[in-house]
Amino acid sequence: MAATSAASVLIFIALWEAVCRAGLVDPIFLPPPSAALGKAAAMLGDGTFWPHILASARRVMIGFLAATAVAIPLGIFLGTSSFARAAFDPILSFLRPLPSMSWIPLSLLWFGITETQKYSIVFMGCFAPAMVYVIEATRNVDPLLVRAAQNLGASRWQVMQEVILPGSLSQILSGFKVILGLAWTCVIAAELVAAREGLGFLIMNGKEFFQTEVVVLGMVLISTTVLITDFFFRLIENWVLRWKQ
Amino acid sequence: MTLNRRSFIQKSAVASFAGALSLPGFAAEQTVKYGGSPWLGHYPAHLAMAEGYLKEVGINQDWQSFATSSARMSAFMSGGVDIGCAGIVSALALMSRGAKQFAIIAIPENFGRVEGLVARKGIETVADLKGKKIGVTFASSTHLLVLDVLEQAGIKPGEADVLNIPGPELHGAIKTGQIDAAAAWTPHFDNILREPGVKLLADDSQFSLYKSFKVTPGPDVLLVRREFAVKNGELVKRYLSAYFKASDLLREQPEKASQALLKFTGLTMKEQMSAVTGSDWYPQAQQKELLTGEFVQGLQKLAEMLVKHKQIDKAPVVKDWIDASFV
Repeated sequence: MAATSAASVLIFIALWEAVCRAGLVDPIFLPPPSAALGKAAAMLGDGTFWPHILASARRVMIGFLAATAVAIPLGIFLGTSSFARAAFDPILSFLRPLPSMSWIPLSLLWFGITETQKYSIVFMGCFAPAMVYVIEATRNVDPLLVRAAQNLGASRWQVMQEVILPGSLSQILSGFKVILGLAWTCVIAAELVAAREGLGFLIMNGKEFFQTEVVVLGMVLISTTVLITDFFFRLIENWVLRWKQ
Repeated sequence: MTLNRRSFIQKSAVASFAGALSLPGFAAEQTVKYGGSPWLGHYPAHLAMAEGYLKEVGINQDWQSFATSSARMSAFMSGGVDIGCAGIVSALALMSRGAKQFAIIAIPENFGRVEGLVARKGIETVADLKGKKIGVTFASSTHLLVLDVLEQAGIKPGEADVLNIPGPELHGAIKTGQIDAAAAWTPHFDNILREPGVKLLADDSQFSLYKSFKVTPGPDVLLVRREFAVKNGELVKRYLSAYFKASDLLREQPEKASQALLKFTGLTMKEQMSAVTGSDWYPQAQQKELLTGEFVQGLQKLAEMLVKHKQIDKAPVVKDWIDASFV
């Protein structure tokens, strides 16, 4: 199966290269993969390759981890308390559809031109969807198990720790994998303002100067980085949920 | 061939109709897709439409709005726009990639006095910007102005913190002290200048190429899609006659022109007058000289400067994109 996947990727790249080399597509509209590769080699040579990846990865991870760190306890609380849910649901519903880009003006005023401002945009883009995943996961825990634990004399905290959290963790982690991908779309918005490095900056700057091979390179690097982080996330998921296996 | 009375009348009617179509005064209206924005470079095109000058020459202008020059240039590439104004930096970026889909047919204006580098209180000269935060919209004319004046002041790349900030955000950023200086164009430029204690460090007249070629860091250029121009040469000439009539209005009757622009730009009358009178509107009579003289040499130097500042990979031969035949 892995061989089939690898072959399909190679065939796709070869076809893309062939179409461009045959002159069927203007390279301004779609550059050949070799041009993007050449740009990557040039950037490796002048030392500008890794700073872009590392800057974006740092912004994504900090914004994402901060969002999940707040979303997990708050989401569990909202998921188990119908009163709290009724109180906070409208606010969450208001925040959820806001695109990360809409936070740029406010984040600039609140945090200035700093890295915190960029983390905050990723945070705001991830927080509300992460909350929704946690609330849903918490509500999906079998109520029979909760009642059984309560009947056996478990305290509120014990029910939370022993029943709700383990019962919802699998669904929470699945949701967070999606949120991690979302965090990478937020970083593009975060790097629109006052950034000099990062994959979002690379793409937007490349767009301004019609350096489409730079745009393609940025897109490929984002996808590759997401795939790598996804792989590590799965390892963590397997380790955390090893009891399930 | 013999003609009976009915066929003679029919043929005469067809011939009259065909003849009427060929006369400009009675011609059916032709549509031009224009790529614009509320930026002052588009004032003549908007006025030509609003004041009815285009209608007079039988042209209907389909106004398409784009937030940036690069977006407008992309529309030229895809055939979505026939005529439009753009900052030369975006055009040069595409020209350096060998894109031949468009040509420069006119130079609308020189807006050098309504664009510049402004600093907060305590910063007196460009040399004082060493180690300071400068906000500028990357890939804009102001970006090039900043890089150039910093170089002239002996500040090396990296010795000043040049940050990418969109035009509308610059005023807030300098007001809240997040940056020490900002390079902006009107109306952001005027808004920043109104802040108490700020100082104008440089405008486009300090740009090195302005001194020798009268070329600002990113002059506006009027472009036409080549394919459209080949098929509609006479239409382009008619378009330009209406366009420069509006340009004359901006130059000769700025108050009337400003009044007509208020709804389009959303500026106050004072701001509008400042934008209109702060720019030099080139008449049609000057176009040939601009498109064939030292101005184009200046554009060539500008392209080379973009290469030096690593904004484009190679400098295009600018004169290959100039088409002075319509003016």
